[in-house]
Amino acid sequence: MEIHLQLYSILREKLPSDAKGSTVMQLDEGATLADLINELDIKLKVVISVNGDHEPDKLRQLRDGDHVKIFSSVSGG
Amino acid sequence: MSHGYHGKILHVDLTNGKFRVEEPGEAFYRKYMGGSALAMHYILKEMPRDAEPLGPDNILVLALSVLTGAAISGQSRMTAAAKSPLTGAIGDSQGGGFFPAELKFAGFDAIVIKGRSEKPVYLWINDGHYELRDASHLWGLITGEAEATIKEELGDDKVEVLQIGPAGEKGVRFAGILSMSNRANGRTGMGAVMGAKNLKAVAVRGKIRPSVADKVGLRKLAKWGATNLKDSDIAGLAKYGTNETTGANQTSGTLPSYNYNSGVFDDWEPIDGTTMYDTVLRGAAEGKQDRLGRDTCYACTVRCKRVVEITEGPYQVDPHYGGPEYETTSTFGNYCNIGDLPAICKANEICNKYGMDTITCGATISWAFEAFNEGKLTIDDTDGLDLTWGNAESMVKLTEKIAKREGFGDLLAEGSERAARKIGRGTEAFLITCKGQEAPAHMPRVKRSLAIIYATNPFGADHQSHEHDPAIEDDFEYYTERMAVLGFTEAQEPRVLSDEKIRFTVASQHLYSAMDSLNLCQFVYGPAWQLYGPEDIVALVRAVTGWEDVSIEELQRIGERRVNMMRAFNAREGLDRKDDVLPQKLFKPLKGGASDGWKLDRTEVDSALDKYYEFCGWDVKTGNPTRAKLEELDLDWVVDQLGI
Repeated sequence: MEIHLQLYSILREKLPSDAKGSTVMQLDEGATLADLINELDIKLKVVISVNGDHEPDKLRQLRDGDHVKIFSSVSGG
Repeated sequence: MSHGYHGKILHVDLTNGKFRVEEPGEAFYRKYMGGSALAMHYILKEMPRDAEPLGPDNILVLALSVLTGAAISGQSRMTAAAKSPLTGAIGDSQGGGFFPAELKFAGFDAIVIKGRSEKPVYLWINDGHYELRDASHLWGLITGEAEATIKEELGDDKVEVLQIGPAGEKGVRFAGILSMSNRANGRTGMGAVMGAKNLKAVAVRGKIRPSVADKVGLRKLAKWGATNLKDSDIAGLAKYGTNETTGANQTSGTLPSYNYNSGVFDDWEPIDGTTMYDTVLRGAAEGKQDRLGRDTCYACTVRCKRVVEITEGPYQVDPHYGGPEYETTSTFGNYCNIGDLPAICKANEICNKYGMDTITCGATISWAFEAFNEGKLTIDDTDGLDLTWGNAESMVKLTEKIAKREGFGDLLAEGSERAARKIGRGTEAFLITCKGQEAPAHMPRVKRSLAIIYATNPFGADHQSHEHDPAIEDDFEYYTERMAVLGFTEAQEPRVLSDEKIRFTVASQHLYSAMDSLNLCQFVYGPAWQLYGPEDIVALVRAVTGWEDVSIEELQRIGERRVNMMRAFNAREGLDRKDDVLPQKLFKPLKGGASDGWKLDRTEVDSALDKYYEFCGWDVKTGNPTRAKLEELDLDWVVDQLGI
């Protein structure tokens, strides 16, 4: 299935620089957010939205055509 | 032999122009470490009760710590503390850059400033020598101009200048003290205190570096940080600034808009840190922003400071004045429903030119916006400015009017709480102040421990006084080792003020309080996501000072000591639990997005406050430190002051 992905801040560097954090990813059917994070090799804590809504559950299963945004974020300050 | 510090405090009485150098011994520095705790020692000991904040009896302390000037990231910071003209309680703020390290190299650990000069003066400290110089020709100059003039007349462009701008001279109640014309001891109005004393600036230069006890150990710690920065949680903050967090906060419903009535702002992306990096940082057009659009503090490899340059359009910005952080893009941006990044950068520039706290300034403006949109203020009140939500042009014009104390700006220069009291018409319902200081862009209805800290913090609503909830909630799994050092081993439920969460609030408040006494940068050091953890802080203190038996418990105790000293000062000035109040709107539901409907519950908050005072060892009825607690913290002399 295809996922529309937008990465922000330092996470953009997981993709080529001219992509500006934007790409379409192919994932297996039934893949979860946790699978996506593993695929991108993201080790730090992140905040994720799926189709415009906050999704704190990394076990959420993705569907074909989902729009996922991933933000790196620190608290406070 | 002392390491890390000089053992010299410079006292100056501006009324008679006299100086005195005090040389406290090692025990003094071990008890306080410096910064905010050291400042509180002098404020409690030497300021008379009921001093007028803008009068000669107020005492302004500029304090470094035993670590300032050491060759490692995140230590070149200074505390400015005095009685606050904004809140009437203790005032306290920290700022960074190169001035703090240079003051240490100029030969002193702190400056205690009393009285009031008859004419404008500036203090010049150079390799242990000190004098007051005429500043009449500097009075009225914006920061960049004053800085350049001082450097020229002292014949050295490496002089570091700490100063107030015209806003501090005119007594804007939230005027700040700035160095480099873009690093601010921003909050609680310390700039107005300095202006009331007719002290325009402090200029420093020197080569007297204190020794370091364990140079090898310090170098090892410093190298570890520099190497691990790119894989750390702050790598994003370093490159994209604190407002890398804008999109994340929008997503989780904690991005304040409509003056704190909502936690989401749909036009967030144009003012997010990633957009800022791509568009307005100096060098962005040529792809050179990483080198030209970022700046740093003395010895710091993080390089998190923004440098904005805009040369076209209605909001042109001079890079000498830096660039906005998350709080600034929030208060001038999303709080007012403004998604115009150049306009926000312009407001930031005005605040840095004239010397004002961007948080209180923007949040006072957003109070005015809400009052206008609710029909309580009209065009006749606002000098013809249309404050319809989202009007960036009006926001920028109003910022300038406040800085110059002109027209409607003169009222707003008093802060939103005094402005609301003067206007009446029910506008007090729109306030987001605690003890008269406006809330920053971290929302208690989402991160509940903020409700406790905003209410009880001695210097008003403040977001940098403890570790926020995510570290002990959803993010806990990432920080188990560091949190265990502080004694926390279990994640807590979001939005529930459990006993364990309140215990964490107190423990992290003490750690942050210790860090404000050590004057450490809270992005570089802390209990969770920061570059260095609690054990590293202990290692750093040991390496610099040679106090090999320093422990995390001792540092926590110093943090607790400082909070208690502040609370005792406030009690002496007549404050108690009745002043630990949250804005009424926090008990109403947020509108829209992930936090739709979320609100605080009065019974829950009151009960949480009871628990907080109990964990602090304070009297639950008054919220004030008990005799037993003060004696436990070696503050017996404070007991006498309070007559308890």
